[in-house]
Amino acid sequence: MGRKVCLIRGDGIGPEIVDAVLRVFAAARVDLDWVELEAGLACVEQGRPLVPEETLAALAEVGVGLKAPMTTPIGKGSVSPNVTLRKRLDLYACVRPIRSLRGIPTLFPDTDLVIFRENTEDLYGQVEYMATPTVAYTLKIISQTGCERICRAAFDYARANGRRKVTAVHKANIMKISDGLFLRTFQRIAEEYPEIEANDMIVDAQCMHLVTRWREYDVLVTENLYGDILSDLCAGMVGGLGVAPGANIGTKCAIFEAVHGSAPPLAGLNKANPTALLLSATMMLGHLGEMDKKAAIEGALEATLARGIKTGDLGGDASTSGFADAIASELRG
Amino acid sequence: MILCGVDVFLWTPETPELPTQIGPFRLELISNRGTRVYPPPAPDIDLIDWPRVRFLSEEQVEDRQVDELLAELTAAGWVWTKSQKLYRKDGVDLFSQPY
Repeated sequence: MGRKVCLIRGDGIGPEIVDAVLRVFAAARVDLDWVELEAGLACVEQGRPLVPEETLAALAEVGVGLKAPMTTPIGKGSVSPNVTLRKRLDLYACVRPIRSLRGIPTLFPDTDLVIFRENTEDLYGQVEYMATPTVAYTLKIISQTGCERICRAAFDYARANGRRKVTAVHKANIMKISDGLFLRTFQRIAEEYPEIEANDMIVDAQCMHLVTRWREYDVLVTENLYGDILSDLCAGMVGGLGVAPGANIGTKCAIFEAVHGSAPPLAGLNKANPTALLLSATMMLGHLGEMDKKAAIEGALEATLARGIKTGDLGGDASTSGFADAIASELRG
Repeated sequence: MILCGVDVFLWTPETPELPTQIGPFRLELISNRGTRVYPPPAPDIDLIDWPRVRFLSEEQVEDRQVDELLAELTAAGWVWTKSQKLYRKDGVDLFSQPY
């Protein structure tokens, strides 16, 4: 029996794209001991929280999980399950690799970036007030602790993965104190990694550079809001959210998940694209040190796409299960 | 808008131990970077030295009662660096809840 890994099947298209990933993993002979956990709308329907305490406890104990998208119920008091997981498990680094794939046309060939987005502070703390009947505000909290650990995570990743450059993305020209703290901390941490080039960019200029000079960038590290926006922009550069993997990583726990939502209208139709979750799952294999399996599955995925076998969102006509079977066939040779 | 409480941001490295009732206010919650750390159980997260403490009253309170609460915290040795009065309108909280 392999290493224990938590699995959340999610809502909407979640269960069918999880099935696709498990089918591919089986073909690749990935040996994991899946621990299935409850979360999502089914829990809410039972009168339980979207992410039950038992699920949080199991994730904290096992330390690694693969999560399919979940639906945030609309209504007063609803909180995002994703943000709940990040906050409660202190998953401070949102890691988003952005890579152009063979078989998926893009205006931005040879894109190969990794975004490190700080996950636990900035404007995402839900610290909001009506100060007067006509004025609302949100606190932007930037801490030295938060800046240090996300910057160090980005540089550690660069060092471990042979990346040459880390760019800090900020708006310190305007928010001189809060973003200034982020930038100063980045510059101080960068001195610990002399072999890696370090520079910084104002976030608006960074957006322009990403669509004009994307090959010049390697690892980007940034605050929560800028990272949220940049990572979707970059996902669009290489084919959209359907092919964008992600991970939320903390000191003691890491959860790997597709970036897209649960797409309720597609649920049960066997049409959803499982690529993003599959690439998230291969990120997880890399995290677990299974580099050969990771490379094999990603190679089979790209070979499948290059043969023109794609789901409808990418212009093909493959079903979810058919796409997974094609990747599995590539793996079996 | 009806005044019903106050959020107080303390300068302290750990989650503060505070009276659960001060005047008309009960200690509702403590959060750190938006994550609830009181009442227990507190998640195992890195803390910054700026917890937010929320004191609430079910009834409408007066501004001077908020002043008295802050004075009591100061007298007890706590350093607070920011406060925000909390309001309700038509029974709806005009402030957010932490995770």
